[in-house]
Amino acid sequence: MAFVKTGLIMALASTVLAAPLQAQDYGKFDGYTLRVKLIGGAQYEPLYTLIPEWEAATGAKVDIISRKSHFELDREMKQDIAAGNIGYCAFSSHTNFAPQYAAMNQPLDDLIPAEVIAEFSPLVIEHSTVDGKLIELPRHSDVSNIFYIKSLYEDADNQAKFKERFGYDLAPPETWDQASDQAIFFANPPARYGTHFAGKDEAITGRFYEMLVAEGGKLLNDDWTAAFNSPEGQKALNWFVKLYQEGAVPAGTTNYVWDDLGLGFAAGNVAYDLDWAGWAAIFNGDDSNVKGDVGVALAPAGASGKRTGWSGSHTFSITQGCDNKEAAASFIMFLTSHDAQMIEARAGLLPTRTKVWDDVTAEFAEKGDTFMVEVFNVWGQSMRESAFTPPLIPEWGEISNALWPQLQAAILGDKTTEEALNEAAAEVDQIMEDAGYR
Amino acid sequence: MGRFRRALRDNAVPLALLAPAVLVILLVVLLPLIFSFYTSFSNYRLIRPDSLWDFVGLRNYVRVLSDGDFWSALVRTVLFLTVALNLEMLLGLGLALMVNRITWGQRTMRTIMMFPMMFSPILVGFQFKYLLNDTIGLVNNGLQSLGLASHPIPFLVDRWLAFASIAFAEIWMSTSIFAILILAGLFAMPRDPIEAARVDGCTNWQVFRHITLPFLMPFIYIAMTIRSLDVARAYDIVDVMTGGGPAGRTELLWTLIARTAYDDARMGQANAMAYVSILLSIFFTWYFFRKLMSARKHLGAF
Repeated sequence: MAFVKTGLIMALASTVLAAPLQAQDYGKFDGYTLRVKLIGGAQYEPLYTLIPEWEAATGAKVDIISRKSHFELDREMKQDIAAGNIGYCAFSSHTNFAPQYAAMNQPLDDLIPAEVIAEFSPLVIEHSTVDGKLIELPRHSDVSNIFYIKSLYEDADNQAKFKERFGYDLAPPETWDQASDQAIFFANPPARYGTHFAGKDEAITGRFYEMLVAEGGKLLNDDWTAAFNSPEGQKALNWFVKLYQEGAVPAGTTNYVWDDLGLGFAAGNVAYDLDWAGWAAIFNGDDSNVKGDVGVALAPAGASGKRTGWSGSHTFSITQGCDNKEAAASFIMFLTSHDAQMIEARAGLLPTRTKVWDDVTAEFAEKGDTFMVEVFNVWGQSMRESAFTPPLIPEWGEISNALWPQLQAAILGDKTTEEALNEAAAEVDQIMEDAGYR
Repeated sequence: MGRFRRALRDNAVPLALLAPAVLVILLVVLLPLIFSFYTSFSNYRLIRPDSLWDFVGLRNYVRVLSDGDFWSALVRTVLFLTVALNLEMLLGLGLALMVNRITWGQRTMRTIMMFPMMFSPILVGFQFKYLLNDTIGLVNNGLQSLGLASHPIPFLVDRWLAFASIAFAEIWMSTSIFAILILAGLFAMPRDPIEAARVDGCTNWQVFRHITLPFLMPFIYIAMTIRSLDVARAYDIVDVMTGGGPAGRTELLWTLIARTAYDDARMGQANAMAYVSILLSIFFTWYFFRKLMSARKHLGAF
């Protein structure tokens, strides 16, 4: 049976890969070698298996001179900018980090036909536009919503106990206050925790930032001074502090990054997990301890009534010094084409083309995969209604680095939330001043 | 002037032969040093190449010296260095003394002893990160299965446990450097003074304390000098295991400097930090060299 299944999957995969992608004309660049730097990692690689097709269609060769994780690539590109050593044409970028590469970003408005841009989701194109110029072509998007273990929420005993303790019915959380109650309710360490969160780097800054916005606060004032050390900021930070102090999250959560969260939920260690859709297929796959028991729900809302929706998109950009911008444009259009996006969408990565949303959902429905249909419905709604990016300025990374150690200090109880946020605010004010905003 | 020209003429051949080497050193070492020293007085940010010419005087140094985080990283680095070097020395000495007594299979033992040194620090970091993880870590699972702990122990979060964990990883990896150097000292040691002492009725402890140890001290100080430079630059293991966190609890000089330089792209300020912290390395090198010299004098080597 397993053999038949593998055979079927392989047959499906080969038809997918063999399907002609060159419906569009990608041009002819015979003998040209396009040098590129691409983000690497398990979830990004399948797309690159298509590159030989672009080479066959255009007669060009692709030389991948760097293939690293996002953070390593980010460091490398900053060094390239500093050294003036930008000998490549196209590179993987990200909406939230692209403003940092202003020195090498080539505006794409004249290189990508307007009708191609029109096929992308307008919001994501807006996120890819800095100072009125399109500087990157979005590949897939990211926003987080809730995955939860259905059996825990449906258990009659749990429902009765929860109602008795908190006075309302147990259901996937609608607000972050409810999410806090539920995390505390389900925590039974070390067997199970209520939830967990990525506790360092940009991961915790982003989570804090989206909670801040949902609570009605903002990161920066109009004069670019820090605005997050407000009562809303304190409320947002207290959410994390409370769960940590109550033992509702693992003690090591302040060291966790994205992979720890996905693996933890798949292992059944937590009742709910706020995460990106890229894990969906894995959570419901054969290697998961919670297969068939996973529910999804929209991210909860804060006091302002707004849902959290910190979002960003992985993208492709072209360098200003590229010696064949047409070839580079053709390459990035190919990698963000409808069929290319279908390949990533099948794994749960959120497409940036409007039509791919419909087509991939229809494909899942046809296969009877109701879970993935639900995933795409929930995440689609979230992308349409709740998604927002951090301020698209080069200093976002620095602001994040000023914030997260202070957030950790409050979570671990080294400082009060007020002290921690005020110290981070002083640092952010200095960063913005140094960068010439004031 | 005349004397200088004569000296130049007399030594023309050796000087000409040395010139390329001097030039290469100037280009490879001195130029980057001057450049980075200059940037420490500028607002240089990697992502804005023009900022290289934005001269800010002593601003970076004032900021670094008045920054509490920098000072706590510096103090923590000194503490880390002290703990790691002393424990490595004691363990290395113990290992070397034991291996020295083995008569059969000693060469195999010496090779096995060097295994931890062969790993890349990044791998060692990952190894300990997973061993000490609070949910999936072997150590926590072992402790819980044996009933020694009811709750996971947050090895990489708790202030002192996290510090002890990174120190443990560093010590695990580098104790063998001490052991090998001390073993070399033991091999080179003359047997006569020890035999004479035994004839005079010295105890084992007295022989060790007054003959073996003084003879080994120069070797120990050489190992100390090498390792103090290494540990003062400790980065990979700590970066992988804790990244200097959480909340700066394991922040060492180089995790702080690397983050400022690359993640924040504030190269000017990072270079100011680096120049202040180089003083630390210079101090330790000077200190251990002085100790080395006096230990050698004690032996009558010079």
